[in-house]
Amino acid sequence: MAYFIQLVFAGVALGCIYALIGLGFSIIFKASEVINFAQGELLLVGAYIVSAGVFALHLTFFWALLLGIAGTVIIALLFERFVMWRMIGRPVFSILMMTIGLGIVLQTFVIWIWGSNPIPAATPFGVTSGFNIGGVHFGTNDIWTIIVTAVVCAALFYFFRFTKYGLAMRATALDQEAALAVGINIRTVYALAWGIAAAIATIGGVFLAIDSFAIDPTFSSTALLAFPAIILGGLDSVSGAVVGGIIIGLAQVLTAGYESRFANVLGAGIHEITPYIIMILVLLIRPYGLFGSRKVERI
Amino acid sequence: MSDLSARENKHGQPVAPPPLLSVEGVSVRFAGVKALTDVSFQVQPGELFAVIGPNGAGKTSLFNVFSRVYQPVAGRVTFAGRDLLQLKAHQVARAGIARTFQNQGQFPTTTVLDYLLLGRHTRMRSGILFGGIYIGMTRNEEKTNRAYCMHILELVGLQHVYNAPLGSLPYGLQKRADVARALALEPKLLLLDEPVAGMSTEETEDIAAVILDIKEQLGITQILVEHDMALVMGIADRVLVLDFGRVIAQGMPAEVQADPDVIKAYLGEEFGSGVTDTLPISTDDKH
Amino acid sequence: MSVSAPARKSPIGAQPPRLLSSPSRWISVCLALIVVIVFFVVASEDWLTIVNYTLIAAIAALGLNVLSGYTGQVSLGIAFFMAIGAYTAALLGGTPPSSPGDPLGFGLSFLIWLPAAGIVAALVGALVGPTALRLKGFYLGIVTLSLVFIGEYIFLNARGITGGPQGRTFPVPAIGDFSFDQQNTIFGVTLTPGQQFFLLILPILALSALFVYNVMRSRAGRAFRAVRDNEIGAAIMGVNLFEAKMGAFILSSFLAGIAGALYASYTRYVIPDNWNLVLSIQFVAAIIVGGIASIWGSILGAFFVFALPQVIDHFSLVPPSSGSGGLTSGDLNALIYGFLIIVFLLFEPGGLIGLARRSQALLRKFNRHGGEGGEPAEITDLPSASDAQRDVGDSAVTRGEGA
Repeated sequence: MAYFIQLVFAGVALGCIYALIGLGFSIIFKASEVINFAQGELLLVGAYIVSAGVFALHLTFFWALLLGIAGTVIIALLFERFVMWRMIGRPVFSILMMTIGLGIVLQTFVIWIWGSNPIPAATPFGVTSGFNIGGVHFGTNDIWTIIVTAVVCAALFYFFRFTKYGLAMRATALDQEAALAVGINIRTVYALAWGIAAAIATIGGVFLAIDSFAIDPTFSSTALLAFPAIILGGLDSVSGAVVGGIIIGLAQVLTAGYESRFANVLGAGIHEITPYIIMILVLLIRPYGLFGSRKVERI
Repeated sequence: MSDLSARENKHGQPVAPPPLLSVEGVSVRFAGVKALTDVSFQVQPGELFAVIGPNGAGKTSLFNVFSRVYQPVAGRVTFAGRDLLQLKAHQVARAGIARTFQNQGQFPTTTVLDYLLLGRHTRMRSGILFGGIYIGMTRNEEKTNRAYCMHILELVGLQHVYNAPLGSLPYGLQKRADVARALALEPKLLLLDEPVAGMSTEETEDIAAVILDIKEQLGITQILVEHDMALVMGIADRVLVLDFGRVIAQGMPAEVQADPDVIKAYLGEEFGSGVTDTLPISTDDKH
Repeated sequence: MSVSAPARKSPIGAQPPRLLSSPSRWISVCLALIVVIVFFVVASEDWLTIVNYTLIAAIAALGLNVLSGYTGQVSLGIAFFMAIGAYTAALLGGTPPSSPGDPLGFGLSFLIWLPAAGIVAALVGALVGPTALRLKGFYLGIVTLSLVFIGEYIFLNARGITGGPQGRTFPVPAIGDFSFDQQNTIFGVTLTPGQQFFLLILPILALSALFVYNVMRSRAGRAFRAVRDNEIGAAIMGVNLFEAKMGAFILSSFLAGIAGALYASYTRYVIPDNWNLVLSIQFVAAIIVGGIASIWGSILGAFFVFALPQVIDHFSLVPPSSGSGGLTSGDLNALIYGFLIIVFLLFEPGGLIGLARRSQALLRKFNRHGGEGGEPAEITDLPSASDAQRDVGDSAVTRGEGA
């Protein structure tokens, strides 16, 4: 039983990471209908900058985090301004590949600068710190992951509901032409979306790094698991990204925890594809996810 | 009713031929909009039937019902004796209904000739396997159909640009190519979706002549959606007027023109009797 | 302008595009053949290896272009179908297991396992298609992406066929005693493995290219492009969307299967990890760089993405990398094609082939106006119909035919 609760806790923490990554996708999609396949690489760059900040520049975690956020936000804004802006109206395939291209370039730069060997992750707290209740260990890092995710969600909620720019973003997501007609500056909205997504990506990347103890350039592929999360939750729903993320995280960790008992039938590693199986089922049964509103393109 | 073909029943009295298209009580709703409400009319074979109405009246929605892009919530549509609403979108062309597009530019890189060959998609048979082998059936099919399409291009005067991508043509020629593409299907019914939208007077006259020739030389039934009142009154046999998705008048052009409901819909309450000029196109042969 | 009774003589343009339509085409083909023969005779084994891998990749790139370039269906799943082809080949053609724990094999001839690789991959495509192709755009991309991951899981666990995480050897084509991976002497001529594989792969690529070319200039190809450009418009014109998409998917999977089998056979030993997302992305990069919806583009792109790192290695253009900094040739190659994806999509969506066509058009314009230059139009300018009328002269056109 303790084992189960331990898994649930770990699953929720992992799910929060997926939620953060998924939120990044969701925000950009909401604003501009673009899926940013480079989100994982932004996460990667952010995590690397933070680690470099702590270990190479000897900054405190906090300042390294800020540096990481600043770095990825700048990259995202530049890319949005000089590349994505020109891709408006182009077919989905091109836009998708464009972001994949960015991802490839970013990842190769990381390899160029830091090499392909793993480097240690920057952790604000010791790995074993935390407290135990009834045989279940609640790690401090995981607790912070959950707390920060909740804070980020609350901040986003407030932003979208009550601030001028948040309202502008929601309006643009609903109807671009109408937003233009009302005088909303679409360029600012897009830039804002990419910037926020980059910042969230860095935060998610940092927590993911903590979870994995070390980071290497293949890190970015973990971000792909956020896709099942947002499809489950609904591509254009903030709460959906969170709920979807947590469900996917739980599914993955629980499967990983118990799969050895079914190794005869299922073999090894089914926890890696459980998210994708869930995603395919969702797409077949309820394509717009739990909270999504758009109609998925179907024949 | 116009009697385009003189048929008589056994008592020697003229009998109207069965309608080619019969629309009964069709209603379309989506996203809280009542696009069409209880629309009914019939189109006789060989007729040039026009559907007009102010913007948003539901004219293109009607065509979208025929194309099976919209599913009506009520009503029946019968085409050549078949229930049209049973068909899927791609089966409509095979059944003999060809449609032009209101806006051009969907296929900018396709050449004019390839566009017409696309129009003949349902009249050709090659699949991937035979197409890949090519020699034999496919090559013959290509030759025959290319010749046919070039012939159609000659009819509408576009043979000189057969190899030009559609996107490179002036808008008027694109629309003409679209009509040619619809003709390439050898349709029983031709749906023309705002064929003269955005055209100059000269281009409008050209298209009008093409439409008349399709009727008189080729005998194809046509339904024309337009809101250029003058064009429609000049060439249509009968007219249906829609407003806010409802039929407010139908009949011969002159009757409809004088109908007070129609005048009110287009011009507002103040105008008593309609005085709309018809376009000075003569319908006799231009040769 | 008028719509009049049928014209009497055979109109221009009635001839479908032909492969060998003019003397200059014949000359190009002959030149190409000469180049191929010379290469075959003088090239070193190293270069033959590079070219062979490129030709194999070109087959898969062709398949991907059929699905994504011509039909517009986003797919990141080509690695999966290549794997299916490879493992079919392994199962049918591999040496029978000599001890328990060895992967299975039936030892059949390559004349069976090579086509079978394509057919089985196509069948799997037919199975997956109806589900996947209901989706479009990003969703289809994600589903094909998950195919790759699900595939990796299956291949890691199906030890009997794939050899599990350690992988397995793959069969080599052989005719009787002559195995393609050894030097053989036939009629007094000694052929190296590289040359033998070249003789096998090049005709397969040529046949595949010819097949695709034929499809694209016939009814099915027109339907593919229509689906890509405007689905609803295509359906209104009578194209059965589902059939078209499925057809493209199946043809694409077939070619991918063949390429996968050839790749595994040439490499001799493959682990399941090789059939990964990066491989799929490399192929998408290849068709973007080479040219979407273009046969030569597929081949060019394949060279760019798959041959370039080996060329870089061969000429030692990159300093050796260590694990803590610096790029391997593979990384440099990734940087190049990643960057090129961005550049091409921004400025020349037609890829290298598009660039070539534009420069051709520019040159033509140059010649016509005697060096006036000006903007190279992607689509060349046309004379108006009345100009053409004056040129042609004698067709039965009426006065009002203008504009």
